[in-house]
Amino acid sequence: MKTLTSDAVPAVTAAVAIDNLSFNYGRLRVIDGLSLEVGAGTSFGLLGPNGSGKTTLIRLMVGLLKPAGGTIHCLGRPPSPARARNMGYMPQLPALYQELSVEQNIEFFARIYGMKDKRQRSQRVEEVIRLVDLWSRRKTSVLKLSGGMKQRVSLGCAIVHRPPLLFLDEPTVGLDPELRAHFWRHFENLTAAGTTLIISSHTMDDAAHCRQLVFMRQGKIIAKGSPAELQAATGDGCASLEDAFLYFIRKGKVPTGDD
Amino acid sequence: MTTSTFTIAGRIIRQLVRDRRTIALLVLVPLVIASLVGVSIPDRNMLDYIFPAILAVLILFFGFLLTGISFLRERSQGTLERLLASPVSKFDIVGGYLLGFLLFALLQTLIIFFYMVYVLDITYRGELWQILVFQVLIGAGAVCLGTFFSVFARNEFQMMQFIPLVIVPQIFLCGLLWPVDQMPEYLQWAARFLPLTYGVDGIRALMLEGQNLADIGMEVGVLGAFAVVLLVLASLTLRRSSSG
Ligand SMILES: Nc1ncnc2c1ncn2[C@@H]1O[C@H](COP(=O)(O)OP(=O)(O)O)[C@@H](O)[C@H]1O
Ligand SMILES: [Mg+2]
Repeated sequence: MKTLTSDAVPAVTAAVAIDNLSFNYGRLRVIDGLSLEVGAGTSFGLLGPNGSGKTTLIRLMVGLLKPAGGTIHCLGRPPSPARARNMGYMPQLPALYQELSVEQNIEFFARIYGMKDKRQRSQRVEEVIRLVDLWSRRKTSVLKLSGGMKQRVSLGCAIVHRPPLLFLDEPTVGLDPELRAHFWRHFENLTAAGTTLIISSHTMDDAAHCRQLVFMRQGKIIAKGSPAELQAATGDGCASLEDAFLYFIRKGKVPTGDD
Repeated sequence: MTTSTFTIAGRIIRQLVRDRRTIALLVLVPLVIASLVGVSIPDRNMLDYIFPAILAVLILFFGFLLTGISFLRERSQGTLERLLASPVSKFDIVGGYLLGFLLFALLQTLIIFFYMVYVLDITYRGELWQILVFQVLIGAGAVCLGTFFSVFARNEFQMMQFIPLVIVPQIFLCGLLWPVDQMPEYLQWAARFLPLTYGVDGIRALMLEGQNLADIGMEVGVLGAFAVVLLVLASLTLRRSSSG
């Protein structure tokens, strides 16, 4: 049914709303009746061990996969190429053109995301290259960069068009502690500017930085809340988020951290 | 065609240009092959007969291999996923490949052509621009063919193995060395389903008989149809991921 407001800019309260989502790879159920809501302007962590379905969930949210059941709304609408301009996506592997330079990669994605004005685009590309701290390497082929540098270029490609909604699939994997802190400072600046971040990770170090978290296991959410809430919900107090995660796995039930 | 088509085509050309060794091979290998043919066949008439066909064979071969491997890498490195999550359409992506590689194929054809005519002293009739247009048509089919087959390969090694499967039979059956109508009937029948057969027929008509593109409307039409069907197939299979 068409509502009166459907053509107007939807009054978005949630940047992402997922209801009873399921997805299968062949016979394997990878996402299993999952529901969640992500408030606008927050950093939202998808925490879970390898194979728990984080990447699949993100690929569903950016519209690369079609749900087998349930619904997804990103910024008020189901994901579609027409809406893709408002979203940024940093895949798990640094997906880049190896022969091209740092600058050429970021410039390419700026164009792909519709930044037509040449002057504005090159200004923004320069800004992003400085942001990811690769100005001195901007003419270097990606092929010749270290893993951490590639990761930074990949982040640059995902944020160059200033998307209000940004999906980052394990952005901090393989980074040294210093670079990891650098990334997190950067993510905090983005949310401060109103960007919604959805970040997957399997390390509890990342979890502590997120404002909201879900713990995932076998395509289901086993716990949700803020890091403090999740730690508190374990009752007699787990020393760390890591312990809290293990606690929820043993307990196997979903606490109602947010209501 | 949209701006994105040109953006993607531009990126492909930039990628090739920055890869110096590949560029060198793309120019040298055809010249080596042309020279070998030129030296190994003493009969001038035979050479004049074979060389137009070689132009067609080389464009099919390189168009298929280059796009196949480029597309495979686009898939395996995850950049295709990035593109599919962006506002560009699948037709922009395949269209961009088409444009980028055709420009390249055109350049390659020109180099081989001038080498054949001025160094190897091959005689030809017909007009150069018509030859180039026809080559582009063969190349378009080859690019789409490469894109399509890259869906079924998981790595570069497997892509290479499609050459004996997809390209070599066409080379044997296209009439490169021996006219198709002197082959056994079942081979003639098979040859009718292969694009290169029309490519070789057409380019010979242009270069040996001095015919016009209008005179070889059938070949132009069939190659165009091959290219369109393959373009649609390649675009439709784009989303399919070959990686586990
Ligand atoms: N392309 C695929 N084909 C088949 N199974 C897949 C594919 N991608 C992921 N899976 C399976 O789906 C499950 C979830 O994977 P994934 O979403 O990548 O988890 P995570 O990102 O949390 O490590 C795993 O069991 C994995 O083996
Ligand atoms: Mg993953």
